[in-house]
Amino acid sequence: MKTLIGGLLGGAIILVLALLSVGILPATSLKLVEGYMPMQMLFELGISVLVFALMSRLLSMGGISLPRFWQGILFWAFILLYLKFRVYPPIPFSVRAMYGTVALIAVFMWMSSNEEDWKKFKQPILNVLDAGTPFHKALRTTYLIALPIILWGYSYNSFLPNLDEPVELRTVHPAPPASTKVHGKTFVLQTSQNPYRVNPEGKYDQEYTNSKIVEQAMGRLLKPEANPWDEKAEGYLKYVREGGEIFFQNCHFCHGDNLNGRGLHAFAFNPIPANFTDPGTIAQLQETFIFWRVAKGGIGLPNEAFPWASVMPPWEQHLTTDEIWKVILFEYWHTGYYPRTWD
Amino acid sequence: MGSVTRKKTLSVIALSAMIGLLLLPIIVAIPALASGGGEPAAGAPPAEAAQKEGAAKIEKARDVYYKTEGIVSGAPAPKTADNAQFYPRYNFESRVLLWFANQQHLYYGSFVLAVPIFCMVIEFIGVVTKDKAMAKKYDQLAYDFIKISLTAYSLTAILGGILIFTFLTLYPAFFGYLSSIFRPVMHIYALMFVAESGTLYIYYYAWDKMKEGLMKWLHLSMSVVLNVIGTLLMFLANSWIGFMMSPAGVDEQGRYLGNIWHVIHTALWNPLNVHRILGNMAFGGGVVAAYAAYRFLSAKNDEERAHYDWMGYIAMALGVAFLIPLPFAGYWLMREVYAYRQQMGITLMGGLLAWLFIIQATMIGILFLSSNYYLWQALGRMRGAERFQKWIKYFVFILVVGFLIFITPHTIVMTPAELKAMGGQQHPVLGNYGVMSAKNGGINVIITTTVLTFIWYMRGNKVPAVSWSKFGNIFMGVFFFFAYVNIIWLAIYGYYIPANVRVGLSVPQVATTLSCLFFMTALNTVMMKGAKQLGPIEWGKISVRSQYALIMLATAFTWMMGLMGYIRSSVRLFWHVNEIMRDNSPWAYTHTVGFGANMISFNVLFFWISIMFVFWLGTLGAKKAPVEAKVPVPGRAPEPAVGH
Repeated sequence: MKTLIGGLLGGAIILVLALLSVGILPATSLKLVEGYMPMQMLFELGISVLVFALMSRLLSMGGISLPRFWQGILFWAFILLYLKFRVYPPIPFSVRAMYGTVALIAVFMWMSSNEEDWKKFKQPILNVLDAGTPFHKALRTTYLIALPIILWGYSYNSFLPNLDEPVELRTVHPAPPASTKVHGKTFVLQTSQNPYRVNPEGKYDQEYTNSKIVEQAMGRLLKPEANPWDEKAEGYLKYVREGGEIFFQNCHFCHGDNLNGRGLHAFAFNPIPANFTDPGTIAQLQETFIFWRVAKGGIGLPNEAFPWASVMPPWEQHLTTDEIWKVILFEYWHTGYYPRTWD
Repeated sequence: MGSVTRKKTLSVIALSAMIGLLLLPIIVAIPALASGGGEPAAGAPPAEAAQKEGAAKIEKARDVYYKTEGIVSGAPAPKTADNAQFYPRYNFESRVLLWFANQQHLYYGSFVLAVPIFCMVIEFIGVVTKDKAMAKKYDQLAYDFIKISLTAYSLTAILGGILIFTFLTLYPAFFGYLSSIFRPVMHIYALMFVAESGTLYIYYYAWDKMKEGLMKWLHLSMSVVLNVIGTLLMFLANSWIGFMMSPAGVDEQGRYLGNIWHVIHTALWNPLNVHRILGNMAFGGGVVAAYAAYRFLSAKNDEERAHYDWMGYIAMALGVAFLIPLPFAGYWLMREVYAYRQQMGITLMGGLLAWLFIIQATMIGILFLSSNYYLWQALGRMRGAERFQKWIKYFVFILVVGFLIFITPHTIVMTPAELKAMGGQQHPVLGNYGVMSAKNGGINVIITTTVLTFIWYMRGNKVPAVSWSKFGNIFMGVFFFFAYVNIIWLAIYGYYIPANVRVGLSVPQVATTLSCLFFMTALNTVMMKGAKQLGPIEWGKISVRSQYALIMLATAFTWMMGLMGYIRSSVRLFWHVNEIMRDNSPWAYTHTVGFGANMISFNVLFFWISIMFVFWLGTLGAKKAPVEAKVPVPGRAPEPAVGH
């Protein structure tokens, strides 16, 4: 009975992964909930480890024990398949390679954590090398023939002309200059402030404006008494409205009406425009950084931003300085993020 | 009896006089320092002459960092050009030559600064240990350490000379400018070397003469003096790199404004000081542990194996004790870098050098993973520790999850096809791991797990016998559980709050980790008083894998130090002195990641080959260690010397 339960528990996870791997079950059929994806992935991995441990225990109580060597190898294969087929959008190879290598190290640490386990883990390898039985001898001979062929195949492949586009190390946030000149005025990026981020008294007030932004929760909610489209809205909220109007006249075609980089024209570009709702974009940056990027566009990117894959126009040629500041105000308001500050 | 006391008193007086004489040059130099700095800088008219020429000619300028006004007392930073006058060269990249000379000097410098601190700690433990055999063992260990350090010390001085010659030969304009700025303290630096050497030689050669009673305490206090001088030396050296990264005390043209304290006390000086002290200590521990591992692996008998197993353990414990706070010091340094220049911070962590930071995170992870692995292997030499084995796989999982998050890049390497398939530059899962909030959570989880592993190690062959042991165990379990919950919760919460508050969140996270470190190890130590022994510690009966883990630890330290030095230096981009003196040599570009990694590997390899030579030299003149010093101590794990 215990054996059956153990087998079923682990088998269920492996079956789901197998169906995902061969494509019978689409990757999106097991939903990763937006906003909770990172924790969901860790949670699933944690649960899998616990289930496998339980399975192993129940099986061994029932008299069936999977050899140590195969436990390690299969667990590693599980991690590789999970990263390749479970997580969507697909994880780029470079990251999967890093994760896979670390997982292999983890398996080694687990398998060699004590002498007894290490001996058990090594045994199948030593058996093949020693070739004590006809089966092992056959296996060793097979390896002897297969390994050079595999290496030859690998070498041959690596010499073939490759027509794939080369790997790019695109710098998402290149370092900005110390200052930037827009419409004849120099802005020092370290110290400049958004002139429209003001409290009712008209003074620059980060805290006041932060309290008025859209709340991030399950969906994004307007704060009570903080509707920029209210006719009576004044000061900061009025500027947010004006920024919104500029955004929808100029920016949303690419950056999308939800500011997530999925606008009407977005998929004509690769990469698609920046997703402001992601915590790795405007949430990480000072407003002045955004000001510089908006004003100078893709053409104004510095050398280190190679391969300069950005079609963003230099908006200083189309918008006034005030309009740029207002649109930035709107972007932060709408996404519910706070610009980076150093106080 | 009376003559012995008189002899001792005379020795104390003679020794005090000697130390006083050694420190005299520094004391004499202090008034010059306080008055704003000795001689004027290069190119400046002498102060008196300037006065004679009339007050009208006194020019004032504003400090680029402190924004205070000062009297211009130096020449502007030279405007260099790509020619042999400013950049004389061999038919080779000058920057690479300088890189090599600098790195080797730094490796040895760190080693010789760290080892005397270990000696001080170990000698102190030896003095206060009541068990005579153990006390002798500790004393011998401290002596072995300083002996290694002594050979390395002369090599450090030689490498320092090579470094200066390299500077003078290949970068004369830059070096001339830097020495003109630091002229008021240059001679103090040199004099402190004299004091350091003197104290070190007395400390080493008087070891046998000063081994009893008051003289031993005096000997010990000499190690304190030695370390104070060493630390001050390092602070002074740090002020140069601090000035190059975040200059102060000069105006926009780089003219010295007469206040040497401003020049030394730049925006990044203090974080650099703290980070380097801790880094040196961790590095020193790693090198000594690797030495012990090498001797263990080549040992001819069980006695030697037992001795070097123990030595490796002590060195590792010391190294890790300083490794644990190192990420926090690094975090502070980065925070100050961001506060000083946002663009510098972004270049480091989000821009051009971001991938080097991912490599650095990987190395930090390897350090912690190796330490944990070593401790798990060390459980194997304790009878009774078998009960912990089955839990190790869960520890591995927690550590690796923290590690994976910690190394997730923000700037992902991918083909345009992968970029398209991902639907944009930001991945909804990886994007969250790639930012600081998650990474802080990751590293704190790793460190807390390391603390937990260490507590298990301390309990390896013991069961607490105090009457409240059940309560103690539950309390400890709950404490660790909530520590994990707090760290992870704060990492998630960090996404929902302003960046400046998020930066502040690292404080409770660090506090949680450090609470586990200090309170739980203290509680564990109390609980282990009079604990029931389940079996002996069989020194020497540890797996060879553990020794490879120690070698891995040391190599990772060395590699990481080379990497971080390169990152710190590269962040200035095309400046010799940030925003003050431009680098107009043909090598003012940033190397590719691959070239940087190869160069670091070469430096690491060279250091290890040369330090093996130093170790070999150390064994040449070795007296045979007293037999009793090598006898394994049954059933007793030496407590780690510091920090726990």
